[in-house]
Amino acid sequence: MPTLKIDGQEIQVEKGTTILQAAQRLGIRIPTFCYHPGLSIAANCRMCLVEVAKSPKPMPACHAQCADGMEVFTNTQKVQETQKAILEFILLNHPVDCPICDQAGECVLQDNYADYSLSPSRLFTKKVHKAKAKPLGPKIILDAERCILCTRCVRFGDEITKTGELRVMSRGEHSEITTFPGKTLDNPYSLNVVDICPVGALTSIDFRFKRRVWFMSATRSVCTECARGCNIRIDSFQNKIERYVPNYNPKVNQWWICDSGRMSHTRWTANRVTEPRNTRTESSKTAISTRDVADEMAKALVTSGKASAFVLDASMPNEDAFVALRLARAVGSRLYLGGRAQNGPQDELLRLADRNANRTGISAIAGPSPLPGLAEFQKDVASGAFKTVLFIGGEHEGPDKWAKLLEKVSVIGVLADIRSDLVDIAHIVIPAAVPQMREGTVVNSHGRVQRIRQAIRLEPAGVVFPYWRILKRIATTAGLEATWNSERAIFGEIVASMPQFAEMTYDKLGDLGLPLGSNGLSDVDVDAATRNIDPSAPQYRKTNINSRMPWQH
Amino acid sequence: MAATVRPVQRKEFKFRESSYLPEVLRGLAITTRQFWRNLVGQRDIVTLQYPEVKKRYPNRFRGRHRLMLRDDGQVRCVACMLCSTACPANCIHIVAAEHTNTSIEKFPQKFEIDLLVCIYCGFCEEACPCDAIRMDSGRHSLPTFSRSPQNIGKIDLMEIGSLSIAKQGGKNA
Ligand code: SF4
Ligand code: SF4
Ligand code: SF4
Ligand code: SF4
Ligand code: FES
Repeated sequence: MPTLKIDGQEIQVEKGTTILQAAQRLGIRIPTFCYHPGLSIAANCRMCLVEVAKSPKPMPACHAQCADGMEVFTNTQKVQETQKAILEFILLNHPVDCPICDQAGECVLQDNYADYSLSPSRLFTKKVHKAKAKPLGPKIILDAERCILCTRCVRFGDEITKTGELRVMSRGEHSEITTFPGKTLDNPYSLNVVDICPVGALTSIDFRFKRRVWFMSATRSVCTECARGCNIRIDSFQNKIERYVPNYNPKVNQWWICDSGRMSHTRWTANRVTEPRNTRTESSKTAISTRDVADEMAKALVTSGKASAFVLDASMPNEDAFVALRLARAVGSRLYLGGRAQNGPQDELLRLADRNANRTGISAIAGPSPLPGLAEFQKDVASGAFKTVLFIGGEHEGPDKWAKLLEKVSVIGVLADIRSDLVDIAHIVIPAAVPQMREGTVVNSHGRVQRIRQAIRLEPAGVVFPYWRILKRIATTAGLEATWNSERAIFGEIVASMPQFAEMTYDKLGDLGLPLGSNGLSDVDVDAATRNIDPSAPQYRKTNINSRMPWQH
Repeated sequence: MAATVRPVQRKEFKFRESSYLPEVLRGLAITTRQFWRNLVGQRDIVTLQYPEVKKRYPNRFRGRHRLMLRDDGQVRCVACMLCSTACPANCIHIVAAEHTNTSIEKFPQKFEIDLLVCIYCGFCEEACPCDAIRMDSGRHSLPTFSRSPQNIGKIDLMEIGSLSIAKQGGKNA
């Protein structure tokens, strides 16, 4: 265990710790570009040079390991001069396109220049020009002039996805990132290179020019695209989701997310259900409300009693599942666990075949006997057992023709967040909130309970509600007692009644979540986690939707 | 720094002032005197026969915005949104798009300023890194019968635009 001094502060670290990581633990900032905790150390940018006593030359902090008795200085005049020189060198041919560069506002080069240099350019010849706006693949555009040749993207392809599409071509000031001839950058994780690129050289076609980053509000949440539950940051502007980016979680997704998860927000914005519908009664009322259709649904459920069924969505948060289970059991309905396909793409990195976010959580809440799935439901419904069926969630992997399968069912109800064939044939459609509009918890396939948070307001207001609110209305109309008033309160009840969730609260779950059965004790080594955060990543203000000003939403 | 507090003594109204009548009469007398002076003497009149007669504005008068042009007549603005970031009234609405010319790359597909919301503070022209928006047109926004014509778009803004002497892309481009 070497003990060393950084800027006069003493610290003891494990063998193999780099100076940068030790400084990070002391809260001392050392500027970096090429270092990324998830990738091998290239030490090619030299931004992190620090002075070490008795060493003739400055050392790269991201690469140099701590030794016993070392004395490191991060802020001497020599270090400052080095930093200025490095930045001048990196900026020599840099186009400084900031006005049209998507990275502006979260650019490491901008930040480091502002914090460590601020010297004007001394170049008096023309700058070297390279490829602008060159597509590297279907999702990514390269601006070779802005590239600082840190090789983070190259290392990502070599080490994480092992696809190795990218290389540095040519030499000296003509060096340029490129794909192998005839190859394109197109793999299921390719958009991560856009995040790790410290500058605006790699931009995603999906987000390009959509919104300046400083306008957006950031909310930490969980991706609901598959059972992995990768941690994400939802960036939104004026109640619209603009993008998903990964958030570091050492126990789930490390620094990455897959491209389909990243793009999944478009699925939620494009196909929302925003109007209640009831095709059964020719109501004289011209405008029906969500409450009307929920009451109608309650009546149908009560009348059918045992001849009714609930099909849960394996992505719905625990809170909703808890309320749905209570309601279904009180009414006497049969319960099934539906949801999206379980045979999606899967690989060793992140993606899991189960395209549902909360199967583990719902199974834990449902009790010891597992809920029957959609196959059983199809069998039972074909035998004519049900007069009323309530689907929760618009997306259920089903037969080609739901209409044919459900023709004997007299009331088909859907609590629908998203449009689908099923929603089209349903008699009663109750519009529900998408996951980004609400709080809740989901449990990933490895049994980690994590929070999803509200990033945008319920819209249209007064029409869409979270599932549990609609279910509460149905329960009240059906004459049952329902006193839940918030997701937190429901989670409190889950915690009180399920030993696996014992001792958990929303606050204890925090940003990184807790495993089932952990009794509220975190399993994350906070020290290691701080060491593994990308030191160059810009810090985002975490915003709670309730504390945002109206113009920030 | 300690603040200096200077108490101001308010003057108490006397009976003469608080009964109003003599003061009202005094005011009427001033108005009447001015009326006759203007009608008969035609001296010291500050009112102009607008719009036939116009006053010269000071050089730094901030008038209606205009969008400057590139050498080929395209819009100079690169949709960096710095003006809309600086705008305290939140009245600049820009939608950026990809330009077919990769050396221009980004341009405003939509550029709207709601002149009724604008407070003519000039922060937008101050913020612009490209000399693309200016408020030196010397023009007022004209009165209209509805709100919508006051939300002026790119075409209107470019109509009164002109070439800039600044070199696009900086000196070593
Ligand atoms: S990469 Fe950074 S410094 Fe370079 S143009 Fe983009 S925002 Fe500006
Ligand atoms: S494209 Fe970005 S990540 Fe790749 S080498 Fe250049 S600056 Fe680094
Ligand atoms: S003058 Fe001020 S208020 Fe008007 S558009 Fe410009 S920045 Fe906004
Ligand atoms: S600041 Fe200038 S270049 Fe940027 S969007 Fe506004 S007018 Fe266009
Ligand atoms: S050399 Fe250390 S961060 Fe690049």
